[in-house]
Amino acid sequence: MSTQTKSTGIVLDYVKTVGIVNNGYNGRGFANPYDIAVGGDNRIFVLNRCDPLRAAAIRVGICNLDDDYLGEFGRGFGAGDEQFVWPVAMALDSRDRLHITDEHNHRVTIYDTAGNASAKFLSHWGIPGAGDGELNGPAGIAIDSSDVVFVVDQHNSRVQKFASDGKFIANWGSFGSGDGQFNLPWGAAVDNDDNIYIADWRNDRIQKFTNDGEFLAAFGSSGDGEGQFQRPTSVAVDPEGFIYVADWGNERVQVLGPDGSFQLILRGEATVSKWAEAYFESNPEEKAERDISNLLPELPAHLNTPYHISSQTEPFFWGPVSVSLDREGRLYVAETNRHRFQVYQKR
Amino acid sequence: MISNDTALMAHLLRRAGFGANRDELEHYLEMGYDGAVEALLNPTDPGNMPDDLIRRYHVDQSELRDLPGSAAYWMYRMISTSCPMEEKTALFWHGLFATGYTKLNQARSLLNQVEMFRRSGLGSFEELLVELSKDPAMIVWLDNNENHGASINENYGRELLELFSMGIGNYTEEDVKECARAFTGWTLGNAEYMAIRAAKDSIWPYGRIAWHFDYRDEDHDDGEKTFLGETGRFNGEDIIAIIVKQEATARFVATRLFQFFGADEITEAGEKIIEEMMATYFSSGYQIRDMLRTLFHSGFFKSEEARFARVKGPVEMVVGAVRMAGNYRDPYLGIESVSNTMFYMGQGLLRPPTVEGWHEGAEWIDSGVLVERVNFVAKELSNVSSPGVRSIIDRLEAGADQGVLDPSELADGCLDLLGPLQVSDETRSVLVEYASRHGDLDLNGHQPGDQAEQQVGNMLRLVAATREYQLA
Repeated sequence: MSTQTKSTGIVLDYVKTVGIVNNGYNGRGFANPYDIAVGGDNRIFVLNRCDPLRAAAIRVGICNLDDDYLGEFGRGFGAGDEQFVWPVAMALDSRDRLHITDEHNHRVTIYDTAGNASAKFLSHWGIPGAGDGELNGPAGIAIDSSDVVFVVDQHNSRVQKFASDGKFIANWGSFGSGDGQFNLPWGAAVDNDDNIYIADWRNDRIQKFTNDGEFLAAFGSSGDGEGQFQRPTSVAVDPEGFIYVADWGNERVQVLGPDGSFQLILRGEATVSKWAEAYFESNPEEKAERDISNLLPELPAHLNTPYHISSQTEPFFWGPVSVSLDREGRLYVAETNRHRFQVYQKR
Repeated sequence: MISNDTALMAHLLRRAGFGANRDELEHYLEMGYDGAVEALLNPTDPGNMPDDLIRRYHVDQSELRDLPGSAAYWMYRMISTSCPMEEKTALFWHGLFATGYTKLNQARSLLNQVEMFRRSGLGSFEELLVELSKDPAMIVWLDNNENHGASINENYGRELLELFSMGIGNYTEEDVKECARAFTGWTLGNAEYMAIRAAKDSIWPYGRIAWHFDYRDEDHDDGEKTFLGETGRFNGEDIIAIIVKQEATARFVATRLFQFFGADEITEAGEKIIEEMMATYFSSGYQIRDMLRTLFHSGFFKSEEARFARVKGPVEMVVGAVRMAGNYRDPYLGIESVSNTMFYMGQGLLRPPTVEGWHEGAEWIDSGVLVERVNFVAKELSNVSSPGVRSIIDRLEAGADQGVLDPSELADGCLDLLGPLQVSDETRSVLVEYASRHGDLDLNGHQPGDQAEQQVGNMLRLVAATREYQLA
C-alpha cells in the first residue's frame, strides 16, 4: 500500500514504523511524541510531550532504527533542572548538543549527547518576556552550520537568533499575515545555505528568510489542496532543497520543491512495529480479530474530515506534528496521537 | 430597580444557557425577548475556542484517549461558546440518553455523540432517535453490537422504549422483543475487534481507534414483526416512526424538556404547558425547537413562579461561574482539574452514573456537595483579577454617585450584576450588614487588587454563598 501521490521530482519509500503507546512512566514506547532529532550516530531522540495524567514522565526517549530502546532522560514535569512542562521541539548542534524548547517554562534546555549512552544535562537559558532575547512560548528551534540558534518565539510573533550560549543576537517579525509577519508560528528549519524556514502555523504557510531575517519567500495558503496547508507545525529541508512540511491539520505530510512547488503528499501507511508485534504475541485473541478487521474503513459523511478519518484509520498519520531528516535521506514523521513515528527513505 | 425585561431575559439565559454577564445580557436585550428566543434556538457560529488551539497545547484533548481531557474539551466548548443553547441542549440529551465512559473506554466516540446532539438536538425527535440508534457509543453502551438476527439482545430495544421515548407502562414485553429484532444488524465497524478493545481497555499498539456505525444486512432479522399494534417487516427506522407518533412519547419528551428548561417540580400550571408542548410536538412534526419555543413563550415560563424554580446542576454551576468570571478563554494548563470539579459536585461530564442519567433537582445538593459548590463559585467570583470580575467592578463604579457606594448600593449592585438575582429580605439584610462593616465603598482611583476592589470581591463571594445563587 502506498499513500504517496503525485511524485514529480522526488520519491519517498515507506520503510517502517517504530513505536508503541507507553502508558506508564518510563521504558519502551512513546507518550505523545512531539519532535524527533537524529544524531550523527543514528541514535533517534524522541521528545515525549506526555498528557497531564503522565506528566511526571515527560522525557526524551532514545532508540534506533533496529527498534532497540536505548534509554531516556529528563526528570518529568516541573521547572527545575531537566524538568519540562510543555516541551515542544528539539535541535542538535554540531557537537551533538541537544536543545529542547519549553513553551510554558519559556526556556531552552541543553543536553550533551555526544559519546553518552544517555545524555548529560548542561544548562538551560531563557527569560520570560517580550524584550530582546526574552521569550514568550518558545516553540520551534533550528541551529545553523555555525551553531547559531534560532528560536520561534510564538507569542511574541517573532524569530530570535542566539549564540550557542543563549546570548541574544537579533530578532525579526511581528504579528500579522504580511511578509515577515507571523501568527502563532511553530516549527523551524535551516537549509544547507543557512537560510531559515518557519512554519507560520496560523497563517497556513511556510516562510523562508536569510540567516539575518530578510524575507525571501512564502509558500502555501489555507486549504486542503496540493501545496495548501492547515496549520503546518514543522518543516525540514534536505540537502537538495526539498522542503518537507508536517501539514498537521490535514493529517498529512507534504513535500515541496526548492522553489516551493508542490511535489507530493504522504498520508501515512503505518505497519505493526516490532514492539507492537511483541504485544500481539501476548494477546493473540486481539490479534486474531484485528487480522480480520478493516483498518481502512469508509466513514459516514459527518466523520469525513482529516482528523476523524485519522482517528479511525490506524495506518494514517494522526497528529503528524514533526518532520525530521537524518544524514542518509530518511524522513521521520512523529505522530502525537499514535505514539509512534513512520520512516520514509528518499530514493 | 431591576426592570422586568432585564430579569426575564436573565431568566431565559439561565435556562437556555449558563447565565449571562451584563454584556451578554445587554446583547440579548437589544434583540427583544422574541428575538432572543429565536437567536438561542437557531445557533449559528458558536465562536468557541477553536479545535486547533486546543489540540496544539493540550495533547490529551487532541488524542482524547482518557476521560479528564475529554471532559475538559467539552467544558472549553461550554465556556467559550456564543451559542449557549447548543451546548445546553447537548447537555440535556447527554443526561437523558446517558452514555458513559466507564464501559466504553472510548472518549472520542462519546464526544462524537455529543457533537451529534449539537447537530440534531433541536431538530426532529424522530431523526434524533435514528441518529442515536446509529451512534456507536450508544450501540456499545447498550450492547446492540450483541443484538444478532439469530440471537437478540434486548438491552437497547428495552431502554429505547423505557428510558428514551415512551416510559414504562406504555408497551409490552413482546414490543420490547420485536423492537430489538428490528435493530439487529445495527452495529459498529469492526465490531468484534472494537468490543475486545473496549472490554480490555486496550490502547495498544497505537492508542484508541474511534468508532463508526456499520449496518450488517446479513445479521438483520428481516422477518415480520408486530410492534405497538402495527405489523410489518420492520427495520429500526420503521420502529422509530411508530414510537414517535405515540402520545406517550410526546408526553415523555415534553415532560423531560419541561423539567430541564422549565422547572424541577411540575405544578398544575406546568402540567398545562406540558400539554401545550405535546400539541406542538405533533403539529410541528416532532420538532424539539418548536416545543421549546412553546415553553419559552408561555405565560408560565415568563411568570415569577418559574424563576429560580430549578436547582442548578453542577455543570451549570461551574460553567456559569467561569463564564461570569471570564476565565479560561485561552488554553490553560490544568484545565482538567476545573472540569473535575463538576464530578466532585456529582456531575462528571461523559460519566453519568447509570443509563438513567443523573437524579436532578434537589438531589444535586447535599451538605458535602454544597460546600464544593459554594467554594468553587466563591473562588471564581472573588478573584478581582479575572476579566469578568473587573468588568463588574467597572460597572459598579460607573453606576455609583461620584464613585462611592453605600452598603445597600454595593449589595444591590452585586446582586444585579450577577443576575439580576432575587433574594429574600433576610438574605439581603445579611449582605448589607456585611458591607456595613467596611462603611461606604469608594471606588475612585481604584487599582487592580486594592482594598476597594477586594471589598467588591468579598461581596461577590458572599452572594455566591447564598441559597438563591444555587438556583436557576
